[in-house]
Amino acid sequence: MLTFLHAADIHLDSPLHNLDLYEGAPVEEFRQATRRAFENLIHLAISEKVAFVLIAGDLYDGDWKDYNTGLYLVSQLTKLRNAGIPVFIVAGNHDAASRITKTLRLPDNVTLFPSDRPYTFRIEKLNIAVHGQSFPNPSVKKDLSNSYPEALKNAFNIGLLHTCATGREGHESYAPCSLDGLRSKGYDYWALGHVHQHEVISKDPFVLFSGNTQGRHIRETGPKGCVLVSVDHDDHPEIEFKPIDVVRWEIIKVDAHGLESGYDIVDSFSHKLEQLLDENQGMPTAVRIIIEGETPAHDDMLSDVERWTNEFRAATLEIGSGKVWVEKTKFNLTDPASDIFPERASGAISELLNLFDELSNDADARRMLASELAEIEKKLPMELKSGSNDMQFDDMDWIGDLLKQAKPMLIKRLLKKGIS
Amino acid sequence: MRIDELRLMAFGPFTDLSLDLSGGRQGFHLIYGANEAGKSSALRAIRDLLYGVPERSTDNFIHPYSKMRLGAAIRSSKGQVFEFVRRKGRVNTLRTADDNSLLEETDLQQYLSGVNADLFVTMFGIGLEDLVQGGQDIIRGGGEVGRLVFSAGSGIVNLREIQNDIQEKADQLFRPSGQKQKINTTLGMLKNHRKELREAQLPGQEWVKHDEALRAALTRKKIVETELILQQKKMSRLQRIREALPLIAKRRELTEELKNFASAVLLPQDFPEKRRELLTALGIAEKGKTQALNTIESTEHVISELDIIPGLLDNAELIEELHRELGIQRKASKDRIKLETLRSSLQGEAKEILRNLRDDLTLEEAEKLRIKKPETIRIQELSAKYERLITRIEDTREKLPDLIQEIDHVDRILSALEQPKPLDNLPIALKEALEYGPLENQNTSDLYDIQSFIKTFKIEIAKLGFADHSIEELERLPAPSMETIQLFENRFDSVDRQTNDIKTEIKKARIALSEVERQIEAHRLEQEVPTETDLQIARDIRNHGWQLISRKLKDEPTTEKELQDYLKTTPGSTNIAETFETNLQQTDAIADRLRREADRVAAKARLLVDQTGGREQLQQLENDLEATEKERHIVTHEWSKEWQSTGIMPRTPREMERWIQDFHSLIQKAKDVDVRRTKAEDLKQDIEAHRTKMIRCINVFGRAEDIEKSSLINLIKHAQTIIEDETKLLQKHEQLKRDKALKEKELAAAQSRLKTYEQELKQWQTWWEHAVAPIGLEAKALPGQATAVMEELKSLFDKLKDAKILQKRIDGIDRDTEDFRRKVNGLVEVVAIDLTTRPADEAALELQHRLKRSRDSLSKQETLNKQLEKEQERIKQATEDILQIDAKLKSMCKEAFCESIGQLSEAEKRSDTRRRIEADLKTADQSLLQLSAGATVDEFVKEAAAIDPDSITGEIERLDGEIQNLNREKSELDQTIGSEQTELSKMDGSARAADLAEEIQILVGGLGNDVENYARLKIATKVLSLAIERYREKSEGPILKNASALFKQITGGSFEGIRAEYDDKGQPVIVGVRQKDKEIVSVGGMSDGTTDQLYLALRLAGLEMYLETNEPIPFIVDDILIKFDNDRAIATLNALADISLKTQVIFFTHHRHLVALADKHINSSTLFHHALKNSN
Repeated sequence: MLTFLHAADIHLDSPLHNLDLYEGAPVEEFRQATRRAFENLIHLAISEKVAFVLIAGDLYDGDWKDYNTGLYLVSQLTKLRNAGIPVFIVAGNHDAASRITKTLRLPDNVTLFPSDRPYTFRIEKLNIAVHGQSFPNPSVKKDLSNSYPEALKNAFNIGLLHTCATGREGHESYAPCSLDGLRSKGYDYWALGHVHQHEVISKDPFVLFSGNTQGRHIRETGPKGCVLVSVDHDDHPEIEFKPIDVVRWEIIKVDAHGLESGYDIVDSFSHKLEQLLDENQGMPTAVRIIIEGETPAHDDMLSDVERWTNEFRAATLEIGSGKVWVEKTKFNLTDPASDIFPERASGAISELLNLFDELSNDADARRMLASELAEIEKKLPMELKSGSNDMQFDDMDWIGDLLKQAKPMLIKRLLKKGIS
Repeated sequence: MRIDELRLMAFGPFTDLSLDLSGGRQGFHLIYGANEAGKSSALRAIRDLLYGVPERSTDNFIHPYSKMRLGAAIRSSKGQVFEFVRRKGRVNTLRTADDNSLLEETDLQQYLSGVNADLFVTMFGIGLEDLVQGGQDIIRGGGEVGRLVFSAGSGIVNLREIQNDIQEKADQLFRPSGQKQKINTTLGMLKNHRKELREAQLPGQEWVKHDEALRAALTRKKIVETELILQQKKMSRLQRIREALPLIAKRRELTEELKNFASAVLLPQDFPEKRRELLTALGIAEKGKTQALNTIESTEHVISELDIIPGLLDNAELIEELHRELGIQRKASKDRIKLETLRSSLQGEAKEILRNLRDDLTLEEAEKLRIKKPETIRIQELSAKYERLITRIEDTREKLPDLIQEIDHVDRILSALEQPKPLDNLPIALKEALEYGPLENQNTSDLYDIQSFIKTFKIEIAKLGFADHSIEELERLPAPSMETIQLFENRFDSVDRQTNDIKTEIKKARIALSEVERQIEAHRLEQEVPTETDLQIARDIRNHGWQLISRKLKDEPTTEKELQDYLKTTPGSTNIAETFETNLQQTDAIADRLRREADRVAAKARLLVDQTGGREQLQQLENDLEATEKERHIVTHEWSKEWQSTGIMPRTPREMERWIQDFHSLIQKAKDVDVRRTKAEDLKQDIEAHRTKMIRCINVFGRAEDIEKSSLINLIKHAQTIIEDETKLLQKHEQLKRDKALKEKELAAAQSRLKTYEQELKQWQTWWEHAVAPIGLEAKALPGQATAVMEELKSLFDKLKDAKILQKRIDGIDRDTEDFRRKVNGLVEVVAIDLTTRPADEAALELQHRLKRSRDSLSKQETLNKQLEKEQERIKQATEDILQIDAKLKSMCKEAFCESIGQLSEAEKRSDTRRRIEADLKTADQSLLQLSAGATVDEFVKEAAAIDPDSITGEIERLDGEIQNLNREKSELDQTIGSEQTELSKMDGSARAADLAEEIQILVGGLGNDVENYARLKIATKVLSLAIERYREKSEGPILKNASALFKQITGGSFEGIRAEYDDKGQPVIVGVRQKDKEIVSVGGMSDGTTDQLYLALRLAGLEMYLETNEPIPFIVDDILIKFDNDRAIATLNALADISLKTQVIFFTHHRHLVALADKHINSSTLFHHALKNSN
């Protein structure tokens, strides 16, 4: 019986994205998440007494320049050396881009595969052969697996590869390969990296992505970790996914249909959050709240988004015992009244309402509105306008959403609250 | 929409108040309510009525939320009326007018034409506050046209304020060139953080640089250290040699010197010491010998002078004994005086006692009075016995009367107590009755139940029509069996099904027939299609005409009548030719049509056939129906017959099936009850029997009235009480009798005891007389007296006894004194004749002194003799010592090769010198060995000799410089190593940069939300101003025109009107135009009241504009005229009256004078007024 760990996409010191700081947000719980997850990996390897550890690329973010990250990596890998555990690493696209990789001296228990061609390293006493090749540059477009050697006879063969497989949404298509191609090599186990979602592509032989070790934004939801592989005497591997993340990302959708007031919606959310926390056993969690559906509370909520955002945060503080961070609250509500009153009397307010409708449906008009925001757009940092954040000033849907929210806010503000 | 009727059913202060608002075209309704009448409640009521009562309504102070109701009848402009009731609640609050069922909210919303609650309140409600606020907003906004028009068209009073507010919120978040706004601040922080991050990031090259520097320094340090060791080694060798040079020189000198003393004898080190000691000891011995001789001489002289008396020493024991007795003698003579005093006082006291008892006797004769011990005891015993007897007699005597009285008392109670009666049969009767007692209640209630059931049963049976029937008769009732009923049920079902089928068929046939007839009628209406018959008829007429013509042509006779008849066939024709022609045409036409419309003809013919067929089918079906109805009649008749013998008119078999079941179960129940009834009545008889028996038994005791009617259970209780009472009485009688017997026995015993005691007393008297005679008392004397005399006697004899003892002791003392004197005198005569004349005690004392002196002298003599012996011994010792010392000194001389003792000192000096030189040499060799670094001394000396001593210092200095340089370099290297290690240890993989990156992300996250907020506000501002501008473009003209006219009207012509002008900044603004001189007045130049009126004019114009294109909505006005003078108030009322032609105006006021003004000045066909009265 022999066990080893398969991990990938560690992205050390990669920051968590889009967490807005507010009073009571669990800042401490979220610090240095990628490092603590990596420490969990090291701890797991030592406590499970694994024979070796595989890392299928992307140790750090490509554009990250702090050499301390590399030194930290070395300090952790040294712990494995002290426990007599060898480590096999192929460099991924991020590692190839990283300056850290070029200068870092790794401990002698670590084997970093060269990038000029595929190599095979053996552990004779365990009868293991690990085949792999590092990325020579950040953008490898050819199928690296293609030139991997045939399986060695009478050995347990492992392929270590950083690849997008046949292409995965949200991941750059680097070193593409096909399942048939991998199978043709006759290996017993393919340890893949690059795709952050854990995925078993094939069970015979095992071809799988371990997924990344720690989610860093709302598009990386659910448990993250590594794979513990046990190989029996007949060279038959069994796999077990081991979550090692320290912070989890989750989306909570609340269907507001049939709920009368904002407070009912907050209650419904609280209930769902409680369930989620039970499932995650109180793990620190970043949640995105999405409120959707048709509700009479539409006007009330959208006319004061800030206030209701805070209501959700307060409910979270109460239930999450200081471990839950509300990443964002999205109000995708529809107004039931708009269906009930198809007709609309003329008059000044109707003029305003009609204008809102017109603008929502007119791309040019929305562009005109976007130009109102040109001043602020100029001042904002790039990362807010592109990539993971959805604040895209040239995205007319975004302006459309803002219009949807601005309408009830303005109408509420203009019309009297009522006779007292 | 207008409100025809407003029902304030249960709302605020109102209960069941209804306002009829149906008057007028739309109607101007002036609703007057005093201040407390609930004007504002009524206003709210209209809103709540249309849009629901708010969750936390305050109008529940009389009617609770659950009871709150508003109602209304409203009418659309098309005349549709909608009546409804509104209750308070979250859902389903709209109800029908009778409040019984729900209405859909959409039903009401159709009347509101898209106006929601907020819009209704804003646009269709106006109050004094709105007016004032609106007026102020006009002034502050400088009369800006766009906003005013938008305000007018929407009813918003503070548009400018709202716009500013939103703009301000946006400005707080961000300003393009700002610093302190939230977003600007965050952006600044972001910049700083990024800078910090760049600084915190450790570039890889730097680590490598430090790592390499460290390695280089470590290598160099190793080389320097090796070189340093080598140089230090050289240096230390030279230093050693330099140090050894003086030592080597000295060593040489010492070797020379030693040669001179090689012959000196080496004496032991303690030799001089030993020699000195022996000489000292010799001196001491000689001196001691001389001293001892002197001492012996002086001691012998002292001994010869000592004084010792031998006689005294021989009698020493006797002298000491006498000296001891002397003390005793002195003490005894003192005691004797005290004893003598005591003895004479005791004698006096005894004499006194005796005189009191018997003055005839002297102390010596007192013995006569002494009584013996048994006699004393006898008197004491008798005294005690007397006390006992007297006590018993008195006790017994006291007891007797009490006992007699108690017996009397018991007698009295007994005679007063009632005699118990015998119980006879009562207990047995009771025991029997006890079994039935508990059943009695149950029995009564059973009987009652049974009775009530029978009553119900009779009613039920009567209902079924069997009023006078017994159960048995009912049981025998010849009702048909269940099977028969089901048979009929099937038959009825079958007939009814048939009937229904036929009826359905008939209906179908009728529909088919009427369809056929409708088609036929359609054909007819389309134009009757001619038939073959029509053609035949036309041909016949034509032929007939042709015959007439032919006859005429052939000149055959024709009658006028024939002609006339023929002519009639074609109305309007005057001659036969014309008629024939017409006939001919008609016939042709019919033939043509027949040919042309052959299809239609055929269709019509078919329809006619269908019609006939249909009618026949219908007839057949109706016949069938009649048959089945008959059949049903027969079944019904047979069904009735089945029931005839029971006298019941049966309903349907299904119902009768149920009836029969009920009937049977009723009978069964009645039978069960009958059984129960028999049992219950039997039990009742048994109970009655026991009751009678009990009454009889109880009557014997005659203690209760009315027991005849008592229930058995009560009788049982009664009997139990009697038995209990009688038993108690009997027990009491017996107890009293027992008590009496006991007391009588006690009395007899007491009387007999008394007699015995009195006899005993007599006996005692005799004994007493004998007993007291010896102490001189009479028989009458009481025991107390006897005791007193005995005590006196005892005291007398005690004192006499004590006096006698004292006398004996005095005699003893006198004897001892004489004895002592004799002994002293005897001794004095032997040893100290000079003392014979002195008293015995003095002589004894002197003897003692003399004895002591002789003893001291003797002891001194002995000490001195011992001293003499010691001195003799000392002389002998000293002589021996002197001989020994002399021998030792001679032996020392021999050792040192000396002739005499005097030479010894020189020999010692030479020995010392030799020893010192040898020691110095050894020291020098040792020092050299320490410096030689392992070589022998001789080798080392040789090595040193090989080096030029003059070059050593220079060489050492050179080496020292070199070593210093090497050390300096090493220390520098250590510093380098230290600092590089520090640098590297700083690069410890810290997460500082990562943390900063995270903080940046958090800032970015926060920024996102703020930016969104800002964007929302910014977009809202923009859209609002666009809407304002757009509405202005559309409506500026009509609204300003209307408003101008209204302003003129409301200001009573003080202004000509208003118009738009451009202000200094080129902005279009509204200005007023004076009537007189067309002077232009800016809004800033108008009075408060005037701006209020300008605002009102604009609002009314906006409303009119709205009404032009929309369904009317009632306009609710709340007391806006308070600040207006009468003229302007009238003008405004008129303006409102004008508007009320287009939409309903509901005007609330609590000013009676406004009502009066309206009455006077407004057309009564337009104005309606109402008064609010709340339920109070």
